[in-house]
Amino acid sequence: MAIDVSPTFKPRLPGYRFNLTGWASLAVVITWAAVAVLAPYLTPHGVGDIVDLDYFGPMSAEFPLGTDYLGRDMLSRILLGARYTVGISLAATLIACTAGVTLGMAAAVSGGWFDAALSRFLDALNSIPSKLFGLVVVAGVGSSIPVLILTLAIIYTPGSYRFARALAVNVNTMDFVTVARIRGEKLGYLIGSEILPNIIGPVFADVGIRFVFIVLLLSGLSFLGLGVQPPEADWGALVRENIGGLPFGAPAVMAPSFAIASLTIAVNLLIDNLPQKIRDRSA
Amino acid sequence: MSEKITSSWTGADDALVEHAIRRGASRRDLLQMLMAGGLAASAGSLVLARASTALADTPVKGGHLKAAGWSSSTADTLDPAKASLSTDYVRCCAFYNRLTFLNQGGVLQMELAEAIGTEDAKVWTIRLKKGVTFHDGRPLTSADVIYSLKRHLDPATGSKVNAIAKQMVDFKAVDPLTVQITLAAPNSDLPTILAMHHFMIIADGTTDFSKANGTGAFVCENFEPGVRSIGVKNKNYFKPGGANLDSFEFFAISEDTARVNALLAGDIQLAAAISPRSMRLVESQPGVALSKTTSGNYTNLNMRLDMAPGDKMDFVTGMKYLLNREQIQKSALRGLAEIANDQPVSPANIYHNKELKPKAFDPEKAKFHFEKAGLLGQSIPIVTSEAANAAIDMAVLVQQAGNAIGMKFDIQRVPSDGYWSNYWLKAPVHFGNINPRPTPDILFSLLYASTAPWNESRYKSEKFDQMLLEARGSLDEAKRKEIYGEMQVMVAEEAGTAIPVYISNVDAISSKLKGLQPNPLGGMMGYAFAEYVWLEA
Amino acid sequence: MNTHLLSLLGGRLLVALFTLFVVSFVVFGATQILPGDVAEVLLGQAATPEAVAGLRAAMHLDDPAILRFFYWLGGLVTGDLGTSYANNMPIAQLIGGRLKSSLQLAAATALFSVPIALALGITSAMLRGTLYDRAITTATITVISVPEFMVATAGVLIFAVWLKWLPSLSITRNVDSFGELIRIYAMPVFTLSFVISAQMIRMTRAAVIEALNTPYVEMARLKGASRTRIVLRHALPNALGPIVNAVALSLSYLLGGVIIVETIFNYPGIAKLMVDAVSTRDLPLIQSCAMIFCFVYLLLITTADIIAILSNPKLR
Repeated sequence: MAIDVSPTFKPRLPGYRFNLTGWASLAVVITWAAVAVLAPYLTPHGVGDIVDLDYFGPMSAEFPLGTDYLGRDMLSRILLGARYTVGISLAATLIACTAGVTLGMAAAVSGGWFDAALSRFLDALNSIPSKLFGLVVVAGVGSSIPVLILTLAIIYTPGSYRFARALAVNVNTMDFVTVARIRGEKLGYLIGSEILPNIIGPVFADVGIRFVFIVLLLSGLSFLGLGVQPPEADWGALVRENIGGLPFGAPAVMAPSFAIASLTIAVNLLIDNLPQKIRDRSA
Repeated sequence: MSEKITSSWTGADDALVEHAIRRGASRRDLLQMLMAGGLAASAGSLVLARASTALADTPVKGGHLKAAGWSSSTADTLDPAKASLSTDYVRCCAFYNRLTFLNQGGVLQMELAEAIGTEDAKVWTIRLKKGVTFHDGRPLTSADVIYSLKRHLDPATGSKVNAIAKQMVDFKAVDPLTVQITLAAPNSDLPTILAMHHFMIIADGTTDFSKANGTGAFVCENFEPGVRSIGVKNKNYFKPGGANLDSFEFFAISEDTARVNALLAGDIQLAAAISPRSMRLVESQPGVALSKTTSGNYTNLNMRLDMAPGDKMDFVTGMKYLLNREQIQKSALRGLAEIANDQPVSPANIYHNKELKPKAFDPEKAKFHFEKAGLLGQSIPIVTSEAANAAIDMAVLVQQAGNAIGMKFDIQRVPSDGYWSNYWLKAPVHFGNINPRPTPDILFSLLYASTAPWNESRYKSEKFDQMLLEARGSLDEAKRKEIYGEMQVMVAEEAGTAIPVYISNVDAISSKLKGLQPNPLGGMMGYAFAEYVWLEA
Repeated sequence: MNTHLLSLLGGRLLVALFTLFVVSFVVFGATQILPGDVAEVLLGQAATPEAVAGLRAAMHLDDPAILRFFYWLGGLVTGDLGTSYANNMPIAQLIGGRLKSSLQLAAATALFSVPIALALGITSAMLRGTLYDRAITTATITVISVPEFMVATAGVLIFAVWLKWLPSLSITRNVDSFGELIRIYAMPVFTLSFVISAQMIRMTRAAVIEALNTPYVEMARLKGASRTRIVLRHALPNALGPIVNAVALSLSYLLGGVIIVETIFNYPGIAKLMVDAVSTRDLPLIQSCAMIFCFVYLLLITTADIIAILSNPKLR
């Protein structure tokens, strides 16, 4: 947000200018995405190999990020963990937010029984504790990566829906929507061209936050036995299994924490610094 | 490489010295033990730091102790027959008494019993102590003892030791303080069996276990399942002096790190069963000591012999060669374990067969056996869970070893919730975790006899069953030892249970807490610490 | 207009009640899917086929599920939550004290975090693009991207183990003074505030910024209203709907989602009770806990919906 100093009170600059923070966060996200894709070629050691007889080893030339609680190479584990954290979380976030926002807008525009039924259904879904939900899923359909992604998406769709609907309901009462409606525009046009551009800022912010939540919930679900199986682990699980190293400031617990922070902060800053043209199409 | 291990564990040298002293000291007790058929005097147990000074100290009276175990839930119970977790055992030991118990050397002692005698190991006469009263004031009589023991036979009680109790077929109150128990077949281990936590004596007719009416050193003041228990000193306790503490509070902090932190912050004085990885932290802090016990606790890899792939004996043998016991001991458990030889009788037990060597890690032999079983190259699922101590790490180690020889293992981590009811004993290849039991007879009857309730690999052998009966009924120690030795070989070679190591239990305690000694029945002084420890001002 | 408003509110409440009914059905269904036969779990190693059959009959487990559902619902409506399978204690007794503890912790966290989060969100929206705004944004995301158990563990290490300012556990025999109470709640409340504030701050900021872009704010600005006045009088009421929704969603986390905080600080709350119930397959207890979570959740979002409706004149 470096370029637009108090933008609300100044006429906006048109165009796709992208600021430095935006570029930097984009670079971080792309780097992690590349790591996720290339991980198997980058890891110096096997992800499950015990390479150090000591545990919570310090940073060294051989093990740049130290070793974990079993004496496995942290760098390799983080590189491979990127696949799960970046891949699964992004997929789940996109599914959850696309579904949630689309349904939310549709409900707000349609109103009536469609709105009521959908809202109640998603409320009911959201009110089931996610751990119970996870256990039921494991019991019902077994465990695999697609199931994990869908479970995460389902857990976070109602929240996204609720927020988008609350935004859309407000916009829906505006005059220009009423005009469009009188013009006889279809539901698709209304939500795509009239509502969405006017709520896109908060929706993007919501996507960013939801991404963080999903990254963190991922590790919780893999501990329920859903999805990622040992010896592989996502970043949250890496922090969790090495938490005993915290009193020593072991890199095994700090490194994955930094990895999570760098990814989530970059994703959110990227969203905040998207070019005006994309961010505020309402202008 | 071994240097690294020792340097990360500075208590090791002290421990060696102490271990030796303890062995010497306890030999004297051996003679007393023979009749009772208990455990090795050394018990493989040792106190690491400051234990010797603890022994020399004189108890201080008073104070409130807060201690934390590692698991507790709404299934917590005050019913000794249903006790299944450490928290239950701790409560039972504080609020009730047993007829007998095992002291720190594994030596059998009388508690509520004055004396136990038999002619033929079949009919046993138990004389009770005089003047023992329950918390509600009623005196202890033979009726209470008979009620307490007999209820294990009723399936409705849901007793965890029903299989062991079944051998007691007849109970007779000879007089108010004498009980006669007749066994289905001779069993010279009965006095030791009665030292198990489940055989606590409750008052005749008790059905309500929301409060504990026992004879124990503490009166139950508060019991909230899954939250905490509070006991206050029993003023009318039958043992002279009674408990040292005025009161104690026991709860569980399931998170390893949180439990250690609570101790370091001074909020509790005892953190039970700390993780091997917390040792480095605990040792670096002043005011904290460690108490280590290696008894027979183990996490084992079970291969059911009645299902594929375990129905091929070569698979089972191959797996036993594929277990890198040293790596499990060093990496997964950070040295807090002793290498085991695939059978449940630990070196802490006098019946342990030293001649039976653990199978050395030999991937080539393993490969040979897998090939012979026609399984090489197939993907074998292994069910593992946080529920069994270090089971996930062990699974990963097996998987790594398998990769090297072209044997693929598919690790299936399942929730610890419901692990024991849904996966343990059920999945074809899975992990189990077995707590120490005082005698080979109990271990074999519970885990390996053809009709054993927890026959993890469905091992069935008529010869084994017969040997079990023979050893049980014999009063000839040498012969028992020989039979048990042979049975250990049978289990190690034939059963589908691979037992890589015996896991040590390490309790971390505040240096103000004195009198905690290791006990072969488990950590926290065989769960009975509350009665014996004291707090220094 | 007032009767219209009343009927609107009444409708919302009725809908909430209906949802609760639907939820009760879903919860009951979910507990039926959980693997592990109840009778078998209860009997453990003593589960002979006859014993299991007998127990199943005694517990009416062989009745059709729909019958058991209405039986259970009937009990629920008349205030009879049933008895726990695991220890035969009345569910109400098991839940009572722990629900109170959970509500106390939730209330303390809400009182602490909501005002701060709203203030931070609104001010960073007003100062959009400034160093302050960027600092808040980055700090918020940093804070939320650290796993909860790490925040809690680090907190205990620093404040309880090293500095010894605060107790590491929240369970104590007696709370003698207000100061002691603060000391006990400090770390759990802080940890939870870390977790829930981020969403509220981000959403508040985004909603206020969006409202600032609307034509009538433009109008107010052209009329020469002060920046504070524009935000508080014009933008905020319009952004209230999304904001209260974000707050409600965040707060709903405070009852069932606090398992990590309850575990690390050994705080005897209802989230841990639920986890226990799931692991012992204590169906009546699972159902009761889940219903409590659902009830609180619906209460929060219905309140949020009503506030949203009231705040937008056009929706009334």
